[in-house]
Amino acid sequence: MTAPPGSSRWLLRHELRLAWYGAAINKGGRRRMGWASIAVWTLAWITLHVLAFVVLRKMTPGGVMDPRLAIPATLVLAAVATFMLASSLKASVMALFERGDLDLLLSSPLSSRSIFTVRLLGVIVAGAALYLFLFGPLVHVGVALGQFHWVGVYVAIMATATLMACLGMLLTLALVRLLGARRTRVLAQVLGAVAGALLFLLSQAYSMFSHTGDSGAAERTLRHMAESPWLAPDSPLWLPGRAVLGEPLPTLGMALLGIAAFALTVGRTHRFFVHGVQEAAGSARAVGKPSGAMRLRFRRSLFDAVVVKEWRLIARDTHLLSQVLLQLVYLAPMLFLILRKNDAPGPAIGAGLALLCSSLTGSLAWIIVSAEDAPDLLHSSPAAGRTVKLAKLAASVMPPLLLVALPLLWLLVRAPLAGFLIGFVVVAAVLSAALIVGWQGRPALRSDFKMRGKENFLCTVFESVNTLCWGGLGWLLVSLAADSGGAAGSTAMMAAGVLAAALLSLLLAWLLRKRLV
Amino acid sequence: MMNDTPALQLRSLRKAFGRPAVDGIDLSVRRGELYALLGPNGAGKTTTLRMVTGLLAPDSGQIEVLGIDLAGNPAAAKQKMAYLPDDPLLYGKLKPTEYLEFVAGLWGIAPEEAEPRARRLLDWLDLAKHAHELTEGFSRGMKQKLALAGALIHEPELLILDEPLTGLDAAAARQVKDLLVSHVAQGGTVILTTHILEVAERLAQRIGIIRQGRLIAEGTLAELRERTHGGSLEDVFLQLTEQA
Repeated sequence: MTAPPGSSRWLLRHELRLAWYGAAINKGGRRRMGWASIAVWTLAWITLHVLAFVVLRKMTPGGVMDPRLAIPATLVLAAVATFMLASSLKASVMALFERGDLDLLLSSPLSSRSIFTVRLLGVIVAGAALYLFLFGPLVHVGVALGQFHWVGVYVAIMATATLMACLGMLLTLALVRLLGARRTRVLAQVLGAVAGALLFLLSQAYSMFSHTGDSGAAERTLRHMAESPWLAPDSPLWLPGRAVLGEPLPTLGMALLGIAAFALTVGRTHRFFVHGVQEAAGSARAVGKPSGAMRLRFRRSLFDAVVVKEWRLIARDTHLLSQVLLQLVYLAPMLFLILRKNDAPGPAIGAGLALLCSSLTGSLAWIIVSAEDAPDLLHSSPAAGRTVKLAKLAASVMPPLLLVALPLLWLLVRAPLAGFLIGFVVVAAVLSAALIVGWQGRPALRSDFKMRGKENFLCTVFESVNTLCWGGLGWLLVSLAADSGGAAGSTAMMAAGVLAAALLSLLLAWLLRKRLV
Repeated sequence: MMNDTPALQLRSLRKAFGRPAVDGIDLSVRRGELYALLGPNGAGKTTTLRMVTGLLAPDSGQIEVLGIDLAGNPAAAKQKMAYLPDDPLLYGKLKPTEYLEFVAGLWGIAPEEAEPRARRLLDWLDLAKHAHELTEGFSRGMKQKLALAGALIHEPELLILDEPLTGLDAAAARQVKDLLVSHVAQGGTVILTTHILEVAERLAQRIGIIRQGRLIAEGTLAELRERTHGGSLEDVFLQLTEQA
């Protein structure tokens, strides 16, 4: 049965079709999945079912469910919720600021309520899809084994996706009211990035506490959980987990919570959604400095002009900025580890810093070198291409190096040899990453930042190999500095091998270099 | 003696993308003239201009810009010209002053020269009051005017514009036309393509008509009229391009 044109169902179908066309599996200019994609997804789907079967047989021997499973189920659901929140913040920003079709929709006879409802449903489906794919097999296998309570997984995922979509949309709209559309765009992108990395940060915080100094923290936490009525397995805190496990009342409660949140969000905020859209439409004309004389302080050299231009463009592109910031979020726990007073720096710090700085440089170099917005302007100018490229590479390597300069200095003071080795590896990793993009980069659009790995396979391979090599070398060299025992010889051999591999990957990238035209 | 050198000299210029896009064009544009290059869609106008500005390598033929061989000394040739594409990209996240600073840097203009020029151009084109806004919020006309300011900041001797008036309102179009006329009056050379024949009719000293990659007619408006016994430039154009 087809929905009548102009109805909410018709609009929802349109929205889902657009989402399908934009899905990662349909990239490459096609609107239909190729046979290879179908095969890969089907294989993954079957594998997940097999895994689910193995897991269920272990988790529920004889079909009996351990009530303590509600605790990990709640924790997993909480983790999923943070990812869903990150995704819904991004999707809400997209709905308000990036999709260009709202003018068309709002000028049509469709009610703003229908438009908002459908858009919110789109955010929910986008947030839930991955987790339905990943956890759906648990339900199917559970039902096949006669454990019908696993249907609770579907309910819990949809309810959580709904709650997070509503929260993401409300947060975005509230920020528009408080801060204005432009700042909201920046903040929502950053919040989305941080929410996505929250789980990682919490796990790092836990490992930092449990590893040194406060070594009893983990045991204390477990003891506290057992003693506290709030953290015991039958505590209301684990109700979401019980909903996942299909207990009737918690499942019903979650479903009702999701429906209520959806109804309230749509009912109360659809008008403000229109207002938010109008704010967003005017935001592009926001004035930096409303009055006063025009200030001109032009830079003297081409090099400076290029570097400053590249940094300005990245700093003002909220979408790109949030992607880059996400990598910095992952860097933060490592900085805490470095600045901690105890211990000599471990091999993980050498490897981690090299990996992160290399990957950050690769991203920046892709944005700056490959995704130049106005190549015609550069090529039609008399500026030496070499100087421009050098400036662009410098603009890519300077931020990561500046970022780790202080921690590296601190390391040099505390443990000079290890600090020097880590510094060497980080600088080499950063320079190599930039050079590889400089040699292997292909013209691209900034909007394709997330897809850059798929667009230029060879460059991605060189970048990955190079990053891993320098990371590995960082690990091995720091281990070598700390170990003067019998294993030192073999570690040194391995380090030499990894260094050779890194240099070989650079040489190959240079030999197969392309010219960006 | 030097001033007799044409601003632009094309000899047997060819470029093919599977089929010929530019098919042996010979063209000479004098210094201090406004030359309009007309032709139907796909005639090879933009391809010609992109080869002249060094954005596209010709398959064969020679390009001289103010006596400088483009293939032999591209930097020197580019130093003397500016190109404004039909849909110029301005970096949406830069402000007008920042954009002009960057362009001045590309052409190696010293700040003490570039700053007053930028100020004058922004004032002239009514963009000074928008100097602190990001260009992503600019209208088509404002973007076109800013791109033109960028093209003029290094005071090029040869200004090449591809459809510079498309999408502009009457006021913006008038400003751009005035600027082009003023550039020519000061001794500069302008080569433009346009589909607005009235612009070519009013502004151009000479007109060239391209069809299927070949220059099929060239001369002043009077010469073209005489050749085709036509009335307006539109009649002449349609007669020559066999669209009438």
